[in-house]
Amino acid sequence: MPTLKIDGVEVSVPANTTILAAAKTVGIEVPHYCYHPGLSVVGQCRLCQVDVERMAKLAIACNTPVADGMVVTTRSPKVEKARRAVLEFYLLNHPLDCPICDKGGECPLQDYTLKYGPGESRSAEEKVQRAKHQTFGPHIVFDAERCILCTRCVRFCREIPETGELGVFSRGDRSEINLFPGRVLDNAYSGNVIDLCPVGALTSREYRFQSRPWDLVRHTESVCPLCSNGCNVVLDVRHRQRGEELLRIRPRENPAVNRWWMCDEGRFAFQYFSDPARLRAPTWREDGRPVEMGYDDVLLRLARAIRRVVETHGPSAVGCIASSRLTNEELFLIHRFFREILGTPHLDFRVRPVQFQETDASEDGILRRTDKTANSRGARDLHILPGPGGLDVAGMLAAAADGRLKALFVFEEDLVREFPDRPVREALGRPELLVASSMFGSETTALAHGVLPALGFGEKEGSFTNFQGRIQKVHRALMPHLASRGLPEALRDLARDLGRDLGEIEPERVWAAIGEMAGAYQGIAWKDIEPLGLMPEAKAGYPRVSVGGREPR
Amino acid sequence: MAGSSGRGRERIGRPATGVGKSGMDFERILTRYKDILNYTGTIDEYIAHGGYQALPKALREFQPDQLIEEVKKSGLRGRGGAGFPCGLKWGFIPRDSPKPKYLVCNCDESEPGTFKDRMLIEEEPHQLIEGIAISSYAIGCHLAFIYCRGEFVHGARVLQRALADAYARGYLGKNILGSGFDLDLYVHRGAGAYICGEETGLLESLEGKRGQPRMKPPFPAIAGLYRSPTVVNNVETLSNIPHIVVRGADWYAGIGPSRSAGPRLFSVSGHVERPGNYELPMSITLRELIFEHAGGMRDGRRLKAVIPGGSSAPVLTEQHLDVTMDFESLAAAGSMGGSGGVIVMDDTACMVRVGEIVSRFYHHESCGQCTQCREGTAWLHKVLRRLERGQGRREDLDLLLDMCDNMKGKTICVLSDAAAMPIESYLKYFREEFEAHVRERACPFEGNGAF
Amino acid sequence: MISDETKKRFDDLVARYPEKRSALIPILHEVQAEVGYLSPEAIEWVAAYLTLSPADVMSVASFYDMLNLEPVGRHMIYVCQNLSCALLGAEGLIRHLENRLGIRMGETTPDGLITLKRMECLASCGTAPAIQIDGIYYERMTPQKLDELLEKLRDGRFERSRA
Repeated sequence: MPTLKIDGVEVSVPANTTILAAAKTVGIEVPHYCYHPGLSVVGQCRLCQVDVERMAKLAIACNTPVADGMVVTTRSPKVEKARRAVLEFYLLNHPLDCPICDKGGECPLQDYTLKYGPGESRSAEEKVQRAKHQTFGPHIVFDAERCILCTRCVRFCREIPETGELGVFSRGDRSEINLFPGRVLDNAYSGNVIDLCPVGALTSREYRFQSRPWDLVRHTESVCPLCSNGCNVVLDVRHRQRGEELLRIRPRENPAVNRWWMCDEGRFAFQYFSDPARLRAPTWREDGRPVEMGYDDVLLRLARAIRRVVETHGPSAVGCIASSRLTNEELFLIHRFFREILGTPHLDFRVRPVQFQETDASEDGILRRTDKTANSRGARDLHILPGPGGLDVAGMLAAAADGRLKALFVFEEDLVREFPDRPVREALGRPELLVASSMFGSETTALAHGVLPALGFGEKEGSFTNFQGRIQKVHRALMPHLASRGLPEALRDLARDLGRDLGEIEPERVWAAIGEMAGAYQGIAWKDIEPLGLMPEAKAGYPRVSVGGREPR
Repeated sequence: MAGSSGRGRERIGRPATGVGKSGMDFERILTRYKDILNYTGTIDEYIAHGGYQALPKALREFQPDQLIEEVKKSGLRGRGGAGFPCGLKWGFIPRDSPKPKYLVCNCDESEPGTFKDRMLIEEEPHQLIEGIAISSYAIGCHLAFIYCRGEFVHGARVLQRALADAYARGYLGKNILGSGFDLDLYVHRGAGAYICGEETGLLESLEGKRGQPRMKPPFPAIAGLYRSPTVVNNVETLSNIPHIVVRGADWYAGIGPSRSAGPRLFSVSGHVERPGNYELPMSITLRELIFEHAGGMRDGRRLKAVIPGGSSAPVLTEQHLDVTMDFESLAAAGSMGGSGGVIVMDDTACMVRVGEIVSRFYHHESCGQCTQCREGTAWLHKVLRRLERGQGRREDLDLLLDMCDNMKGKTICVLSDAAAMPIESYLKYFREEFEAHVRERACPFEGNGAF
Repeated sequence: MISDETKKRFDDLVARYPEKRSALIPILHEVQAEVGYLSPEAIEWVAAYLTLSPADVMSVASFYDMLNLEPVGRHMIYVCQNLSCALLGAEGLIRHLENRLGIRMGETTPDGLITLKRMECLASCGTAPAIQIDGIYYERMTPQKLDELLEKLRDGRFERSRA
C-alpha cells in the first residue's frame, strides 16, 4: 500500500486511489465540482488542483493516483491562487440569486467561495443572461444562468439510467446544458440530479421555495419503504408553527444497497404523511356505522370481541394477515400476539405472487425491484407464516367466506384491491370480527368492525430487511398524530386488556428476544445494526441473494 | 479570380520559393513540383517526377522498427505546432499490444496565419499519401485516416480522388505492391472547430463526439483512437517521410540546424509584398524570410510586429529580426516555432486591436470544458474589446496579466495558454499603446489604421 | 426523410469505421446538405440511425461551426475575420456585405438567398482577405469582386455545390 504525505499528514491507501479520495480519508477537504465517485471522471472544473512535489504543474486530485513517497500540499500559495482564480472565473457570470435560490445555505459554491474564493469582483463586464426556471420535467427545474457546467447531470443521465436526456449544447462560454427540444427529463431517477448539482441550477419542483436548510430541524436516517431494495435515505423535517412537516427525502450513501442514488418514486412520494384524508382516530362499528373513539375504548371493545370468539370457537377461529410493509419489530410482536398469546396457527403475509419466491427480481437493473414492499424478507425470516395446520392468505379468505374463521385481522393490506378477481368483499363481510389497520381508508377498512390507523415509516423506530437480507433501521422523523398509537403499543395494550403480557416493545428489547431465537437473526442485537445496515452471518439455510453478478449501480 | 476548382498555385500567392537575395539556392523538397510546368498533382505526374519510389523501397528494404530508427535519426520534428520529434513519437507505440494501431493525419490546419497544409493536400496529395503509407507500415497500422478540416471542401475532394487512384494502382489496400502489408486509408471531414487540431480533440471528433481534448496521460500512443495505440502526425510532417526514405536520414539531418533539421514550410502573410508559402531550412533568419523571400514590407512601411509561429506564438518586434527560425532559437527569443505561420504587421497595425482579434479567436474556439479557458478566453476578449473601444480602465492592464497567469498551465489542453501568452507579449512590447487607449479613451489609430 | 440511396451511402460510410459512431459528423454533413439544415427531425433521424440519444447528437452537432441547427439561406457566405485577413481589410468587406445585403453577419436575407457568417482562419492567409461561398474559396477579395459574386448569386448563375 503506497504511503504519501498530504499537508504533512501521512496516509496509506490502496494503489490506484486518487489524491482526492486519499485526502478524504484523513479529513482533508479538496474542493471539487465535476468529480463524483459514482460517475466518470472528466477533470473539467479544475478546482481540485493540488501541489505535488516534483510535478512542475498543479495536478488535479480527482484523477491523479497516489504514489509511494508522494508529497502533496493542498494549501500552498500556488494552490490558493489557482483555486481563487477558478472560483473567480465561475463567479464572472454567476447570477446573484442567493436570496431566491433553493441551494442557498447548502451550496458548495457559496461555501468554497467563502473559504477559497475572491472577496470582490474585478469584472467590469455585463453578466451573460440565460433562460431561468425552465421546467425540465415533472420534478426538475433548471436555471441556465446558475449552471457551472460541471456536467454531472449530463453524465448521470447517460451513465446511470442510461436515458441521455441532457446534453451540453454549443461550445466555449456559449455552452449550455439543455434537453433535446420537446423532450422531458422524466427518467425514473431524475431526482438524483438535484443532489448532484453543486449549485442551484437543478432544483426540485416539489421543494421549491419551501425552506432554507437551517429551518430543517431534523435530518433523520431511514430506509425507503417502497420496494425491497431498501434505499438508504435521509428525511428532512421542517419546523413550522402548526407542527412539523416532512419536506424532503434524499438518498444516503450506501455502497452495498443504493450507492448514492434513489428512484423518484421513493424520493417524491411522502405527501401522504400530512394528507388530511389519513385515518387519525380508531373507529369501532356501532349500529352498523363506524364511530370514532379513543384507543382505549376501541381496544376494550376489541378485546371483548376476541375473547368471545376464542372462548366460543377456539383460537383457530382467528386469523391474521400481516404485511411486508410492517417493520421487523411489529412483525415479531404480531407473531407473539397471534401465535403465542392467542394461539392461532393462521398467520401469513404473502398477499402478492412475488412474495412466494425466495426473492423478487430487479425491475430495471438499477435500484427498483418488483416487490413493492420493504420487508418481505424480514417477514419470511421472522416466520410470519402459517404454523402447523395453519392457513395461508388464500386459505384464510376461503375460511372467512365459509365461516370457519370468525375473526380476521388484516394489517396494512387492502385485500379487495389485491384480489380483484375473487369475492373478497363477501369473504370479509362474513366473519363476526374483522379488524383492519391502515394509513388510509380502503374497501377493506370500510368492511371492518374495528379500524386502527397505521403509522408511516417516517413515524416509527424499527427495521426492515431488504432483498439481500440486510437489516436496516428506520428512525422516527415525525411525531405521530396525537390520537394515534403505534402498532407495538396497540398490541401491548390489547394483550393487557386480554389479561396477557406481550412483553417489552422497544426495539432494543424486541431484538433481545429475536436474538435468542434460532434462525438467521440469532445473536443479533439492535445496537449491532449499523447506519449502513447489517448482513447477518451466513448461517445454514439462510439464503444469501446474489444480485445476478451485477453490483447495484 | 473566379472560383477555384482544382488549379492550385495562383490561388495561394506566389509559389513557394527557395531562392533568396543572398543567392543561396535552397533545393526545394516538399514543393519541388512547383518547378514543373502545368503540374496538377495527378498520380501519373507524381510518379513521373519520382513519386511512389519511397514506398516500395520502405516495404522492401526496411523492417518497421528500422524505419522508426531512420526517422529518429533524421531529426524530423512535428510540423503541426508542437515540434515533437517524429521518430520518438512513433517509438512510443507498443509493438506487442494486441490492439490495432492507428495513424491519423492531422489536416485540421486552423492555426491563424498557417496555410501550408492546404497547399500540400491540394497540390501534391500523393506525397502525403505515400508518407502515410510508409508511416503506417512503420508503426504496424492497417487503418489510417486523414482528418481534414471541414472547410477544405476542395482539398478533401482532391484527396479522395487521389486515394481512389492510389488504391487502383496498388499503393493502398490489400497486399500493397506484393509486400503482404495491408492498409486502408480514408478521408474523414471535420466540421469547423479549431480545437480539433489538438490531437486528442481530433480523436474525439473522429470518434463522432464533441472535439473536447482528453486528459493526458494516457497519451494517444497508448490509448488513442478507440482507446488503441495511435500516432497523430501533421500533413507536412508526413509529407517529409518519402524523402527521408529515398535519400536517407543523414541527408535529411544535414538540412538546416541539427536540432531543427529538414525543410520547413513557412506561411508568410500580413503586410508583406509577397505573402505565400516558402520552403526553407530553419537556419534562415526572420529578416531573410520577410525581406528577401517575401518581398519586404508592403508600401515600404516600417515593420512593427511579427508573430512567428501562428497566432498562439508570442509576438516579436524589430529587435528580434535576426533570430533564426528554428525551434530552439525562437523559444529563446521568448516565442515559438509553432505552426510556422508568420504574420507580419506594419506600423498601421494597432496592437490593442490585434489583441482583440486574436482573443476573439480563442474565445470562439474554446471547447468550454475547463473553467479557466471557458470563462477566461471570454473575459480576455471582452476586456480587450472594451480597451479598443476606449472604455478601458487603468487597472485592466494588470488585470489582463493576472488573468493570463491564471489561464496558463492549469487546463486539460493548451488552448488556454495559447490564448494567454500572445496577450502577455503584446502588453510586454506595446504597453504604452494600451495605456494610450486608456488615457485617450479611444483608439489612436481610429480611421487611420490597417483595420 | 432521408432517401434510400443516401441511407445506403451512410451504411457504406459506417462500415469503414471500427465504431459506427465515427460516422456521425460525415453523416451530419450529408444530412444537412440534403435537408437544408439540421432540423430537430433530421437530428432525430440520425440519432435513431446510429442508436444515440437525440440530445447526444444535438450536443455534437452544436459544437461545430459548419453545422447549422437553424435554417440557412440557399447560399452560405463565410468571411474570415481572423488576423491576417483583418490586417488586409476583412472588416471593410464585412461592412460592404452588410450594406449591400441589408443584413448583419449571422443573418439571412429576407428572400432566403444568402446567409452571412463570420468565420475564423480559413487557411487562406497568403491570399487575404478570403471568403468561402458554398465551400469554394474566393481569395484576395475586394468590394468590387464581392459585388460581382453577389450579382452572380442573385442571377442564379451560381451552382450550389454541396459542401
